[in-house]
Amino acid sequence: MDENAKPRSVLDSLGEEIVRIVTPVSICMLLVVILVSVLNNDSDSSGPSFTSIATVAYSESSSDSNWDKLKGALLNALVFVVVVTAVTFLLVLLFYFRCTKFLKYYMGFSSFLVLGFMGGEICLFLIGKFRIPIDCVTFALSLFNFTVVGVLAVFMSKTAIIITQGYLVVIGVLVAYWFTLLPEWTTWVLLVAMSLYDLAAVLLPGGPLRLLVELAISRDEDIPALVYEARPIINPDSVQRGAVVQRRVWRERRDNDIGSDENLDSRSNLNSTVYSSLESSTGLESLPSIGERNAVDVEDGVDVEDGQVSSSDSELAAPLIQHRINVRMNLQEGSSDDFALEGIGLGSSGAIKLGLGDFIFYSVLVARAAMYDFMTVYACYLAIIAGLGITLMLLAFYQKALPALPVSVLLGVLFYLLTRLLLETFVVQCSINLLMF
Amino acid sequence: MEAAPSNPTHNIISTAPSSVATHRNPLRVDWPTVDGPLGLSEQESVDHARRFFKFGFLLLPWLWAVNCLYFWPVLRRPSSYYHPDLRRYVVRSAIGFTVFAVILSSWALTFSVGGEHLFGHVWDKLVMYNVAEKYGLTGWI
Repeated sequence: MDENAKPRSVLDSLGEEIVRIVTPVSICMLLVVILVSVLNNDSDSSGPSFTSIATVAYSESSSDSNWDKLKGALLNALVFVVVVTAVTFLLVLLFYFRCTKFLKYYMGFSSFLVLGFMGGEICLFLIGKFRIPIDCVTFALSLFNFTVVGVLAVFMSKTAIIITQGYLVVIGVLVAYWFTLLPEWTTWVLLVAMSLYDLAAVLLPGGPLRLLVELAISRDEDIPALVYEARPIINPDSVQRGAVVQRRVWRERRDNDIGSDENLDSRSNLNSTVYSSLESSTGLESLPSIGERNAVDVEDGVDVEDGQVSSSDSELAAPLIQHRINVRMNLQEGSSDDFALEGIGLGSSGAIKLGLGDFIFYSVLVARAAMYDFMTVYACYLAIIAGLGITLMLLAFYQKALPALPVSVLLGVLFYLLTRLLLETFVVQCSINLLMF
Repeated sequence: MEAAPSNPTHNIISTAPSSVATHRNPLRVDWPTVDGPLGLSEQESVDHARRFFKFGFLLLPWLWAVNCLYFWPVLRRPSSYYHPDLRRYVVRSAIGFTVFAVILSSWALTFSVGGEHLFGHVWDKLVMYNVAEKYGLTGWI
């Protein structure tokens, strides 16, 4: 291949990196919107039989006044955030005591629950709705395959990047669908509460997420979490012969990196290595709360009739973004210790990582908007993508783990309210009077 | 996209690809995985392929398919190009997946197209939406 006449600057790959993170977010949102519009046609308000941790304080019924609904929703959201905080602190504690194997298996187990049970149920809803003539043997076998390979791909071993990314998006879709079953006011207040929690947890000095990130960075380990990592852009010049791009797949210590740091001769085939980490990623937080909450349920013999199977969410990585900067060994700075703090320089390419919790909450917002009308969907989608772009820019400035929820969700909620209250009447009136279609 | 090292044939015009591909260009390393430099090295690939192949026997044809997808370059290139073990496992995974898929899809198609004419009452008992209703499987959420 010919050499490039000019060196690649960061701008060449910036657009592509952004696209690589916006695409899966959009796909996730699209799938949830489709699921919601197909499955929720008959019941606009979820039946009172849906109970979960998020409705333990108050379960909304359509006959309450707005003020009651608001109060109830605030109570629900408060309970939820408290549980999330408690569980995140528990996660920090476990991580501090190096119980990573336990965390890893627990997360594998929860993703098994999400993919198996929730995936199975949603498939059953679809089969029931469309009367697809599939028999139980085929269905059971397919579901079993899907689940086991999913758990393998996301946690246990390394598979094709596209498969891992696909499964992460599927997990996000399933959990987001579950969240859309909550009552309306509770959902909106919960979204706002979670973004404020996220802001506090990541940026305040005592916040659990920040503690976790700092612990992980200081120990140079990966946080056990469900994190979506965009495929890094490999500079063709930076991968030389025999070089293997090191990806950290659930490793406790970086062995290869340090090795290649010190003796470049003995490892002649690691001339230049581009680092990026995969599933468990440093600095990405998980939303263990939701998952841990279910931990209690699960261990007590899940009372499935009460709908507490909401499993999963666990490690759903919470709202954090971290821009992983890859270091080129050729640059003499060599010290690949703290990649998170390296500047964007010539030839470095970062793999952007977005927590799965972000996927989930964005999709919940858009799906809730879909339950009202598609106009709100378009408005909220644009708001979320704009918020994501702003967050990525801030990430480029500050070079540290940032909460990805606040900007997008608050913009999204604002646009939803504006659209529903103001824009809709305007557009409808214009259309009725044939002014604008 | 990541730069998977290009096929050496791109450097040579108008020669039969197979003759070039049999000897490896020493300046380029060919990655056995579809992810290129982000994937596994060749030694790890052999272990990986073997593990997935053996796991697939637990009624997991999709795992075999994922294995084949991951090592797609191994299937595409002629057989002397990579480690022989690696190719053997990948090819066997491919065969296993094809056989399983044929059996399963023929059963599923027979079931769905045949319907009640072919099966009689048993059809109603086997079809998924009835099974789900009978056991209340959709009531968990």
